[in-house]
Amino acid sequence: MAKTMPLVGEEFVAGYRLQTEWATLIAAAFFFGKIGAGLFLMSLFTDSSVGALVGLLIVLIGKGGAHLLYLGRPERFWRALTKPGTSWVARGFWAMMVMMVSGALFLLAEPGSGVWWAAQIIAGVTAFIVAVYDGFLMNSSPSIPLWNTAMMPVLCLFYSLLGGTSLTLFLVDFGLTTVTIEETLLSNLEIILLVTNLIVVILYLLSMTNGTAAAKESLRLLLKGSFAPAFYILAIGVGLVFTLFMAYFIGVAGGAGVVALITLADLIGHYFIFFLFLRAGVYAPVLGKLTL
Amino acid sequence: MHLGMVIDLKRCVGCQACTIACKSENGTPPGVLFTKVLDQVAGEYPIVKKKFVPVLCNHCQDAPCVRVCPTGATTKREDGLVLVDHDKCVGCRACYVACPYKNRVFLKKGALKTGYFGGNQMTPFEKAKYPKWQEGTVVKCTFCVERVDQGLDPSCVQTCPADARIFGDLSDPNSKVSRLIRQRGGYQPQPENNTEPSVYYLE
Ligand code: SF4
Ligand code: SF4
Repeated sequence: MAKTMPLVGEEFVAGYRLQTEWATLIAAAFFFGKIGAGLFLMSLFTDSSVGALVGLLIVLIGKGGAHLLYLGRPERFWRALTKPGTSWVARGFWAMMVMMVSGALFLLAEPGSGVWWAAQIIAGVTAFIVAVYDGFLMNSSPSIPLWNTAMMPVLCLFYSLLGGTSLTLFLVDFGLTTVTIEETLLSNLEIILLVTNLIVVILYLLSMTNGTAAAKESLRLLLKGSFAPAFYILAIGVGLVFTLFMAYFIGVAGGAGVVALITLADLIGHYFIFFLFLRAGVYAPVLGKLTL
Repeated sequence: MHLGMVIDLKRCVGCQACTIACKSENGTPPGVLFTKVLDQVAGEYPIVKKKFVPVLCNHCQDAPCVRVCPTGATTKREDGLVLVDHDKCVGCRACYVACPYKNRVFLKKGALKTGYFGGNQMTPFEKAKYPKWQEGTVVKCTFCVERVDQGLDPSCVQTCPADARIFGDLSDPNSKVSRLIRQRGGYQPQPENNTEPSVYYLE
């Protein structure tokens, strides 16, 4: 279907329509879920119990809080556990609950004990699910072609790992935790992840150029339309290019202040890229094939 | 039994009588419309034609809104009607986002407090109708389930002065809806989404 119809609001006119319902709070929930789970996974990898604890708290308070604030009936939140068979919302909620319980057990158990190992594995697997499930959740909506792509979970995974690495470096540089691997190795990992994320974002956008007319309309909004300034400046400029520049040319050698700046820039970009992807979701017109 | 609707675009005159009938039947608060008629322009200048496209929940047989609902609040009945149990809905709006036709509405906080005339003064009609809704939940067209269960047509079908909306059993090959779809090449909206809508359009 060629894009011959306008982008419309709630008026009684057929056309492309913007997704408006999932915005600030859902973007915040996805953001906290990804950075918290990413930090938790990195902490397992680097043996940092402080990082693991902070990761759990970010998921519990940040993600859980944003979801509760968003729900129309927060007092019934437990009902969202009912249908994990078909619903990614329910699956994500289950993963988050299991991650909380097993993560807490892992932190409390005797290191090296059977419980410690089991809790570590379960918490790691569920943290991975928390990191990527919003990608599957968005991908499972056939309504919005910008999201309905297998690349969405991939994007979520890489952003989660990047956020986790940045936060680990931040905790290390501020003396809040120690890790079992060299800081330069972490710093190099961050640079690799920044480059990878930049490539994944470009591939993502390129894949949309072959998409439906609604996908192209989303792309136009992101690259040339009302969301373009925020996309170029915050999501790409601050979040990836500036961060990469700082990490590559100065990095951990610049001290805690520079690491804090890199972390902040990375988190700003992380929030905004998903916020903008949510906001730029476009529905196709109900009927496209009217003939004369 | 598979209940569905056929909408004859040749007959629709865009009078919005169905829109009003729906509001009146369901007593929906301001800004909430379960059905409406969209203007759509077909063709390009100088050969242009304006058409009217009534839209409503398509009661899809493979409905994404049913699939994504984490609570089981949205379900599909045996006769194909997709309904929301407002007591179970948590207002996560996954269904709202997943509906390719954008046919769901979220009742915001305060939606049931103001009424059409503001100042917290409800008309007796609003007072009678609003208790069936719940703020913080998602609502949508039910094909007028209370009427259908009594063997009546949905209100929009009953009201349409041009007979542009026809309701019936899609699983019965001899029903009027099935015959119209067969004879006039009825088609579903956005078939590429594989949602199997129970609403068909005729041109
Ligand atoms: S039209 Fe939308 S709300 Fe209605 S059944 Fe289909 S997907 Fe669900
Ligand atoms: S808003 Fe209600 S009906 Fe919709 S998916 Fe969430 S719980 Fe289900």
